[in-house]
Amino acid sequence: MPSLRIPPALKYYADNLSETDLPAASVTELLAALAGRYPAVKFHLLDADGNLRRHFNVFVNGVHVRELNGLDTPLRPEDQVILLASAAGG
Amino acid sequence: MELSRDEILRYSRHLLIPEIGLEGQQKLKAASALIIGAGGLGSPAALYLAAAGVGRIGLVDYDVVDESNLQRQVIHGTEAIGKLKVENAKRRLLDINPRIQVDAYNEVFTSANAMRIAKEYDVLLDGTDNFPTRYLSNDVCVFLGKPNVYGSIYRFDGQASVFYAKEGPCYRCLFPEPPPPGLVPSCAEGGVLGVLPAVIGSLQATEALKLLLGIGDPLIGRLLLYNALDMSFDFIKLKKNPNCRVCGPNADVTELVDYEAFCGLPSHDRADDSASADWDISARDLQTRLARDPNLLLLDVREPHELRISSIRDSVNIPLGQLTARLSELDTAREMVILCKSGTRSRRALELLVSAGFKKVKNLHGGINAWARDVDASLPIY
Repeated sequence: MPSLRIPPALKYYADNLSETDLPAASVTELLAALAGRYPAVKFHLLDADGNLRRHFNVFVNGVHVRELNGLDTPLRPEDQVILLASAAGG
Repeated sequence: MELSRDEILRYSRHLLIPEIGLEGQQKLKAASALIIGAGGLGSPAALYLAAAGVGRIGLVDYDVVDESNLQRQVIHGTEAIGKLKVENAKRRLLDINPRIQVDAYNEVFTSANAMRIAKEYDVLLDGTDNFPTRYLSNDVCVFLGKPNVYGSIYRFDGQASVFYAKEGPCYRCLFPEPPPPGLVPSCAEGGVLGVLPAVIGSLQATEALKLLLGIGDPLIGRLLLYNALDMSFDFIKLKKNPNCRVCGPNADVTELVDYEAFCGLPSHDRADDSASADWDISARDLQTRLARDPNLLLLDVREPHELRISSIRDSVNIPLGQLTARLSELDTAREMVILCKSGTRSRRALELLVSAGFKKVKNLHGGINAWARDVDASLPIY
């Protein structure tokens, strides 16, 4: 299964996990699987239209999905996905 | 710029390094850095840049030193509580190195003053604690063609990069839009390990020195993700975003904007004692309501470990993270007041409840800290 690195501010809503493996064949499926397993994540992750909020970035094996196939980017079981969120603390 | 005999002794350990040497130290003496925020990140960054001999350091901060700052903002000491941060930091920096110039800007960094202040400096270090100022710092650097040494922190995690639109991505390339207000917790709400800003702020100082010296491989186009618990340093490669509104080929943001409006947030956290919004109730009004209405439910959305610090009697605790899953425990018809530490998480909870059909909900403005300040002095403020 692909692994997902959960951003610090979101892991609070996901059993305090910083990383988890989720069954998914695409980035969209991966995010849906995360929100499905941890319902409180959904509001933070997705806007009212179900789109990934724009302060998140997704990297697959270190490459921004913008340079791949966006959220439709297919995933293989060995892929490592980083979900990156902006943080303002200083 | 020549070094004096005393300066040669002071900077001896730099002069011994071939990559710096006399020439590099002279560069630092002629160089300047502007630090936005004299707090967690700004403290170590300023201390090390001053000690390193950066000739001119600017500090921008409107705030005064609070006791809760001292766990991490090591430029300030106990005797500085209540004093202006920039003035206290200036005094400390000049004690470390009286041979530099320190400019203290006791003001909020805004669209009105940012270009005027920043244009004087070679490099900017973003050590702020809020999104409006981060976007402002970025845009100022893009427009002035200066590097923006970025750092941010939360609990055990930190990020660092150098956003330099001339040579790589800017902050907006990575984060085109800010999060909705209140969605991303601040250190004041979520906490931060005291030594974390020392790590990230020192990395910012390192990057600033490299840029000023023109040595090494700066963090341009790379984002560092640091986790203190795992002791992990991971890097993500960043590229310019072709759709970036401020540095992309079709950029349509060509001047500074209203960043508070852009982010839907104020760029400062000065206490606002007025519970002005319809959904807000002040601590004193809540006290009156509780005396009159014993059925009023107090819903505390903080974490259980926070309730050990302070709590209001007979409140019901459902942490914000569990609220969605535990809505069935609450009666939609019952009047309730939601509270947290200072009012941010409870506002989030209020929005969740309203969207779920609750109508009789209010938010304790200023949280339990306001209650401790205005109603029950036996409770600590944290």
